[in-house]
Amino acid sequence: MDNTNERIAMAPLPTPGELRRRRNAFTQFFRFMRINWTMWLLARKSHH
Amino acid sequence: MARVVVLGAGVSGHTAALYLKKRLGKAHEVVVVSPNSKYNWIPSNIWVGVGKMTTDDVVFPLAPIYKKKGIEFVQAKAFALWPEGDAESDQPAVEVEHTSQERMGQTEKLRYDYVINATGPKLNFAATPGLGPDDGHTVSVCTPSHATEAKTKLDDVIAAAKTGKEQKVVIGVGHGTCTCEGAAFEYTFNVEHELRAAGVRDKIELTYLTNENELGDFGVGGMQFEQNGFRTTSQLWTESLYRERGVKAVTGAAVTKIEPGKIFYDQLDGSHNEMDFDFAMLLPPFKGTDWAAYNKAGEDITSTIFAPSGFLKVDADYTPKKYEEWSAKDWPRTYQNPTYKNVFAVGIAFAPPHQISKPRATPDGVAVAPSPPRTGMPSGTMGKVVAFSIADMILKGAEKPTHAASMSEMAAACVASAGTGFKTGTAAAMTMSPVVPDWEKYPETGRNLKETFGEIGLAGHWVKRLLHTLFIYKAKVKPGWTWIPE
Repeated sequence: MDNTNERIAMAPLPTPGELRRRRNAFTQFFRFMRINWTMWLLARKSHH
Repeated sequence: MARVVVLGAGVSGHTAALYLKKRLGKAHEVVVVSPNSKYNWIPSNIWVGVGKMTTDDVVFPLAPIYKKKGIEFVQAKAFALWPEGDAESDQPAVEVEHTSQERMGQTEKLRYDYVINATGPKLNFAATPGLGPDDGHTVSVCTPSHATEAKTKLDDVIAAAKTGKEQKVVIGVGHGTCTCEGAAFEYTFNVEHELRAAGVRDKIELTYLTNENELGDFGVGGMQFEQNGFRTTSQLWTESLYRERGVKAVTGAAVTKIEPGKIFYDQLDGSHNEMDFDFAMLLPPFKGTDWAAYNKAGEDITSTIFAPSGFLKVDADYTPKKYEEWSAKDWPRTYQNPTYKNVFAVGIAFAPPHQISKPRATPDGVAVAPSPPRTGMPSGTMGKVVAFSIADMILKGAEKPTHAASMSEMAAACVASAGTGFKTGTAAAMTMSPVVPDWEKYPETGRNLKETFGEIGLAGHWVKRLLHTLFIYKAKVKPGWTWIPE
């Protein structure tokens, strides 16, 4: 029995603080730098 | 002088050709064969499908790039491989049919010393009756023209909603064995974003229809990662996003037939279901391009080189095994064909040993088995390592490939857009390491938790937008292109 929509209905919603953090340009700039840096490191070590 | 023929000019083929030419220089020939005259940065097609980009933003002509780099470009479709040569010559050959206007329909044999099959997939809309934009009733975002058509039909739905008519939008995959669920996920949330921007979100029921057993599977068996001090799953993480955006979902589904305005699908519990739609974007399953292979005597050896799916066999362990016996070690490392050592396959064109996500079937035997993704970052990495190996075999006389990149060792990043806009955009940025879980090395989660993470926010959108610019810059071979990793 597919209970996916029941699970969606019970999934945690982001808090107002989390939603603000996701939109805050200052916070997101640092996240942007971190994501890029992590991806760059992973890409560099993906082959040998 | 050695001659390397690269079949395909997508992410993996184009990457391989550029690195080959860089390493081999003018002393050796690199030939690219592609039926398309233009390069397409496929990950941005979803933005064409919602009108945020045009076709011209995601494609550019290949011929000038190859001319500048000294690579021969043949606009043609490969259809037969002669790895032992033929009656005319001992040199192996690939048989192609030209697709340019000047030489349309002409065939020729291109001789090679090494060949890389990077032909990508054949979009197998025919696998599901009624699927697809050409002979069916659904749209697609697999190509720029498909995405442009999807945008036009989405506009019709928005216009109807503005008149007060309730509309049903279904986005997902159109067969039980599809891959690229991430692209369907992205399109779902980009459409949702556009519907809100158009002020019609309340008039539209949006449903994500997928063969994944649970949300967040993405064809890689889902992920676990740490967030705010807790270990969470991609399933819970994505379910939260679906709730936040008010998107319904049907999982474990195999679409079996599509009629105008109606999708028929089976689910793992054995149920046979129908779903009405006003707009449906369903991705097709992939299969290998239509290949044949012949030995020197002209006898058919297709099954020696190609798997039944049409993908090329490489250095993977293809022994049939139960799911519980699958191992990360089954996955290929060098992408070299075991029979013909000068034949390689990269990207979607290589035959995977098995799925990553657990395959299932309905009680009626309908497969609900997401195929393993082999696109994007892994695809480019494979192209690069094969280029390096072939260059070493030519220049240094290496007897076997010198570089390796197994999907059970390499990491991948996936940035799934959930809406565009410099200040209003959102994307789910994910990394996983390795792509294929290694349960021996990481017994708890299958992956390295330090290198596997997920994050939703505006930063993800900026990353996705940056990647669009950087990868097109790289593909155009502009100064410093090698500094941009795959």
